[in-house]
Amino acid sequence: MTESATRCLILACGNTLREDDGVGPWLAAWAQERFLSDPSVRVLSRQQWTPELSEEIAAADSVLFIDCAIDADPGSVHLTSVEPGDESPALATHHLGPAQLLSLSQELYGSLPTSALQLTIGAASIDLREGFSPAVNAALPDARASLELAVVRLLTPTPNQ
Amino acid sequence: MTQTITIDPVTRLEGHGKITIHLNDQGEVENANFHVTQVRGFERFAQGRPFYEMPSLMARICGICPVSHLIASAKACESIMSVRIPHTAAQLRRMLNLAQTVQSHALSFFYLSSPDLLLGMESDPAARHIFGVVAAKPELGRAGVRLRRFGQHIIELLGNKRIHPGWVVPGGVTEPLASAKRDEILAMIPQAYTDIKLALTAYKHIAESFRPEIEVFANFPSLYLGLINEDETVEFTDGALRLIDAKGEIIEDGITAARFNEVIGEAVEPYSYTKFAYYKPLGYPAGSYRVGPLARLNIAKTMGTPLADWELGQFKQLAIGPVESSFYYHHARLIDILYGIEKIEEILSDPRILDTHVRATAGVNRLEGSGQAEAPRGTLNHHYKVDENGLITWANLVIATGQNNNAMNVGVLQAAKHYIKAGKFTEGILNRVEAVVRTFDPCLSCSTHALGQMPLVLTLLNADGEQVDQVVR
Repeated sequence: MTESATRCLILACGNTLREDDGVGPWLAAWAQERFLSDPSVRVLSRQQWTPELSEEIAAADSVLFIDCAIDADPGSVHLTSVEPGDESPALATHHLGPAQLLSLSQELYGSLPTSALQLTIGAASIDLREGFSPAVNAALPDARASLELAVVRLLTPTPNQ
Repeated sequence: MTQTITIDPVTRLEGHGKITIHLNDQGEVENANFHVTQVRGFERFAQGRPFYEMPSLMARICGICPVSHLIASAKACESIMSVRIPHTAAQLRRMLNLAQTVQSHALSFFYLSSPDLLLGMESDPAARHIFGVVAAKPELGRAGVRLRRFGQHIIELLGNKRIHPGWVVPGGVTEPLASAKRDEILAMIPQAYTDIKLALTAYKHIAESFRPEIEVFANFPSLYLGLINEDETVEFTDGALRLIDAKGEIIEDGITAARFNEVIGEAVEPYSYTKFAYYKPLGYPAGSYRVGPLARLNIAKTMGTPLADWELGQFKQLAIGPVESSFYYHHARLIDILYGIEKIEEILSDPRILDTHVRATAGVNRLEGSGQAEAPRGTLNHHYKVDENGLITWANLVIATGQNNNAMNVGVLQAAKHYIKAGKFTEGILNRVEAVVRTFDPCLSCSTHALGQMPLVLTLLNADGEQVDQVVR
């Protein structure tokens, strides 16, 4: 297979002015520092995931989505795999979810990353303020460790590669 | 009995709106209103802030066209400072505004309206979205995504952020353009031409199949307002406003930002938080007018760039005099994109674009100032008053969506009357009524910037005009 420049794309989402919603950009900033010396890891942080990102995703070998989750226990950290899918496409003009983005990459560019993971951190509050709730603050070490583990997994070639 | 049909929310718009259609005893449409139901408050909470903060504050009104607010606001501040900004800064701002126009129009045409145009007004609503377009027309879907990315990436390169760049400041811009960024933008231009030509060809291929919609989608004579240069080329960032009548005759010309509120007034209706702009000498609603891509092309004699000029010639052949149907906003939007690409290429070809003198400085030299620019969806005017310390004491923003507000309401009523007969309607018919609003690409978050203009009152009337119910909040 052809080697793409980006072996692992880290794609974070959130707004640092909405309390725990800012955990995605915070982890993206941490990842930027942590993987600074590895040019095969690319980090992008956005307030919304828009359809234009499908081109970046299609060109990457693997992708790690990072976001807060308002339907999970506050401070809980989850790392799950993601498959292309169709979540509420009628509303998909300003913001897409990971499954939709993968689906769009496949439809538009006929290409998908070999692996896609999603790291979520349960939010206690997404009120209008900076900083994190105690639950998310306490979860940051776990979230960093999970992020690191995920990138290692994504950069490790599978038997088919 | 009378019946009210409510479309809430109106989908595929920037912001949240609602349409109410009132039927009489016979089931015929008596009235229809497009409501903007959100309220913001920017004009009020700007009071007390230093004037030089205004561009960054005002840009937060909108995530789609923050650049237009940045530019109109910076120009209002420069009027207070009494400075003329350096040529290179003016050109860089022009490029930024055009990049925003390209990305915003790409969003409007490809993401919001192309599902109706390419899949059909009556197509399955479950598949009538950008994913449906991508599945049916992948080449066009790719072109739309790339054009949006083209505009956004230029904004990011110039302003270091895709949304709400802080690069435009009173007096110019914060930093000059680096040659590497210029070269990166120039390298994207050929693909952008390919994509917009594909879109124009596809649009022209299908446009005539929408003849019934063209006839009733806000198709009526009106006034048109837009920026134009002295040489009668279209303008987005500088120049002055021209107002033409329904026959295309100039009725007011050379309207500078400072003169704007001499000729343009704002009316209030009880059903919307968005105000209704009108030409003062004709009063409201007779002086209502349209702005945006359709108005710009109806006003301009020439685009000033070769490819867009050819397209303008084709566009002008659609009618004798101004093109009246708002359906043609879609066509005009694509020509705007083509012009934007050509103009960006032209601006970058000028070696002076790399000049490092890009900011003028001054303090408060006037206690009042106004600035105007063309946002993607039409003319935008910012008007501020300050005290001797430069603190804002009063602000008024006249937004494109408010200037198109009456036309949108007339258009919704026109389409509803045409399509709804004897109280019978289908999802496809209601989608057409929504699609009338989409032609204008209104930005509802931009349009409701004043607080305390009116309470939201919802009133249900029977055929005799008697009040059946009322909700006030």
